[in-house]
Amino acid sequence: MDRERSPKRKRSPDGLARFSTPERPPHSPISAQQSPGLQPRSFLAADVEEPQFDDVQAAYHQQHEELRQNEVYESRSPSVNGIQKSASPPRERQLGYKPKLILRGHKKGVAQVKYSPDGRWIASCSADASIKIWDSTTGSLLQTLEGHFAGISCIAWGPDSKTIASGSDDKSIRLWDVETGKPHKTAFTGHHSYVYSLSFSPKGNMLVSGSYDEAVFLWDLRTAKPMRSLPAHSDPVGAVDFVRDGTLITSCSSDGLIRVWDTATGQCLRTLVHEDNAPVTSVKFSPNGKYLLAWTLDSCMRLWNYVEGKGRCVKTYQGHLNRKYALSGCFGVYGTKPYESAFVASGSEDGRILLWDVSSKILLQSLEGHRGPVMSVDSHPAERAIASGGLDRTVRIWRSDEPIEQTFAHEQLADETSEEVPPDMRAEMAEMAEMEQAAQEDREQGSEQEMEVDG
Amino acid sequence: MNLALVDPFVLAQDCPEAMTGKLRSGHSSCIRFNHRGDYLASGRAEGTVVVFDIETNGVARKMRGHTRQIQSLSWSSNDRYLLSASQDCKCILWDLEDGTRIRSVRFEAPIFIAEIHPTNHLMFITALFEQQPVLVDVTDEIPKKCTLPSVPKRSQAEWEKLSTRQQTLDEKQTTTVAVWSSSGEHVLAGTSRGWLNVIDTRSRQIVHSTHLSSNLIVFIRLTASGRDMVINSSDRIIRTVHLPDFTDPKTDFDNLRIEVEHKFQDLVNRLSWNHVCFSATGDYVTASTYMNHDVYIWERRHGSLVKILEGPKEELSVVEWHPHRPFVAAVGAESGPIFIWSLLTPQRWSALAPDFHEVEENVEYVEREDEFDIQPLEELHKRRLDQEDEEVDVLTIDPGKADFNPGEFRMPVLLDLDASDSEDEVIAIGTGQYRRKSPGRGQQWMNEAEAVENADDTAGGRKAAINGISKAPNGTKRRRAD
Repeated sequence: MDRERSPKRKRSPDGLARFSTPERPPHSPISAQQSPGLQPRSFLAADVEEPQFDDVQAAYHQQHEELRQNEVYESRSPSVNGIQKSASPPRERQLGYKPKLILRGHKKGVAQVKYSPDGRWIASCSADASIKIWDSTTGSLLQTLEGHFAGISCIAWGPDSKTIASGSDDKSIRLWDVETGKPHKTAFTGHHSYVYSLSFSPKGNMLVSGSYDEAVFLWDLRTAKPMRSLPAHSDPVGAVDFVRDGTLITSCSSDGLIRVWDTATGQCLRTLVHEDNAPVTSVKFSPNGKYLLAWTLDSCMRLWNYVEGKGRCVKTYQGHLNRKYALSGCFGVYGTKPYESAFVASGSEDGRILLWDVSSKILLQSLEGHRGPVMSVDSHPAERAIASGGLDRTVRIWRSDEPIEQTFAHEQLADETSEEVPPDMRAEMAEMAEMEQAAQEDREQGSEQEMEVDG
Repeated sequence: MNLALVDPFVLAQDCPEAMTGKLRSGHSSCIRFNHRGDYLASGRAEGTVVVFDIETNGVARKMRGHTRQIQSLSWSSNDRYLLSASQDCKCILWDLEDGTRIRSVRFEAPIFIAEIHPTNHLMFITALFEQQPVLVDVTDEIPKKCTLPSVPKRSQAEWEKLSTRQQTLDEKQTTTVAVWSSSGEHVLAGTSRGWLNVIDTRSRQIVHSTHLSSNLIVFIRLTASGRDMVINSSDRIIRTVHLPDFTDPKTDFDNLRIEVEHKFQDLVNRLSWNHVCFSATGDYVTASTYMNHDVYIWERRHGSLVKILEGPKEELSVVEWHPHRPFVAAVGAESGPIFIWSLLTPQRWSALAPDFHEVEENVEYVEREDEFDIQPLEELHKRRLDQEDEEVDVLTIDPGKADFNPGEFRMPVLLDLDASDSEDEVIAIGTGQYRRKSPGRGQQWMNEAEAVENADDTAGGRKAAINGISKAPNGTKRRRAD
């Protein structure tokens, strides 16, 4: 179907191969020497064949040395000038995420994977115009949502974990009931081109969408009508996101700008632009909403403090390969409770998933498994697990063997009982922790070999 | 989280400037903000209760159960329950989780006002037309009603001084408005002869009375702290009163002196006031005027008039101030739209282009010494990366007022509420063509409601009609983008 496309649309390869930018001079040491067969072909235009991944892999190996150097440089950076970080807890230098599940079923590349806010489900959307809902622990397929007429670039979970919004290349946004698998009867129409990004407001009453038509729309979910159009950008909008309390929206575009908007008034409050002006393909608020993480096509991810002054880039993460696709990633948590630290995770076009420490920029782990660009990475809202989706049509789940007692289940218990835990309660807690540990060991034994699940 | 980025001059303003919007769903007669300030409940002249989402300006819920004009609305402290009181002599307690009725209580007279207890949503106080106020406990299916007294408490000596005529008039007093003190331990009631009664909730006795006005007390509203009270009386004067702390056990109700702090009135035009309310912090008092289009705002420190908000070409009835923001909503008395006044926030152009600065006047540019030096890109890049050595915390969440606690009630978002604007008086009959809707259309539900009403009342129980989800049978007005 895609071969019938007019040449005009070729410049705008839909879905995943969003921003091909041959005209932009590369600024980072990694040169964009990729095999000539790969560059102009969008992922959708020719449902990517296996050999192409080998091309990518070959390209990766060519650049491997350079990447290595980068990594070395990165790990050195915190102790430059002899100033060693005097952070109280010793930070881990490595993380132990291991492949656990491979979910197959999509007929074309996976554009985005998202954990539901309650952590029970993983939704994945694909260029094959379907959305699949998987159980996040067992990996069994719950639903396949079909109804869009073209590839789906983005999905977003409603805060109640019962609805999913999807944005497609057929220019529409649809809402789906996860339990029944049925779409809501009215599609959200208004965009003039492919919908690239979606985000739910924390209350679930609004939806923000970014599109190839350069517009950002704020939708009233109840009436399915656009409430407000934000005169955002002069190039396709790569991503939009709501801050955790819903008062701010961020959007980014391949014009190199990241903008922050006031939800209530629709006014632009801040514009962030890096000197290099590289196309920004993805942007995300940090879990506490104080920072913005942005992916740019110069193979960098930048963390911005958007509040201070006129906005300041505080961290640059490098090591992955990102020249062509709108990759996205997530924030995650590691370490034990009082000294929890955060990592950022991103896919890479060479098939790896990279995890950096937020503050020190040390590469904590590099996960290999995907055969082809990893488009999207998302972390479990409570547990130590991440999900990834790539152009090799698979969704993969990775879990860390970090002892689970520091994580969510016990956090809550601890919060409720505060500091003063009665002794009998303490015994109970210890018992529970023990049981948990045993269960964890069982689980590990059971899943020694990584499981494969067919959807 | 937007506060750090918003212009401080805008944030410093605490009084609305201009009319910025309009909400419409039928003919509204009464409005009330919820405590969080994200929803506005509106009672309509034909008895429907509508809940607007302030963020989207859309209808979030629609609940049908009354057959006449809604007189008053009251939210429970967790914003989950809404009590509506109507001229059809009924009070209905709604659960906004699913839009069902929890209780429906019938009285012998039309209701002026019904207020939910500040801590117990299954208890409320009502003031009835020409009757004594009633304290209602709806914990059980069958409501427990307790009549409260209205006759002001006077000492024996005082009572004997009155003439017989005055005594009989005193006996005939009725309560016209009743509200809870902030703790819910007392009820503050205004009477038809201008007395303010303080009633102990437990003993149901008047513990204190003050004569405030010679005329009827129309309306009473307290600030969130419960220490300040504004009273609208039919003598065309708005009074503000500083209240003592009723929860203090040392409060001596017998020798209590309740002093009027300010009197707001228009001496020139002799305006009378439809409705009064406090601002978010209690620093301002606002009122809508009878037979007039404006909203008056006084500040309380000096008692001066600070602003008259220009209104639409319509008399305004109920006026309400948002619980946190400089945001005022008022109902048009004749056709029932809800008008909104708030701040105007101009776009700051420097926010759109970070390399531009807004300057007051021309500034001569001084070039930096190394501004045009050519430096190797690689080196610049490297240096920049080396400077990124600060600690960054992306996890710790600063507690904020607007933040949502996990245990708090959150109203589910209904997606199938497509009758949201179908009850407007105009309906589309073609592209760009509208006509007025014939009267009586879309009121079929009323007959059904009447039919089940008796059964409903005796049982007092939960009726299965889930309002807001049921579809209106009338033609829907649809305007689709493209």
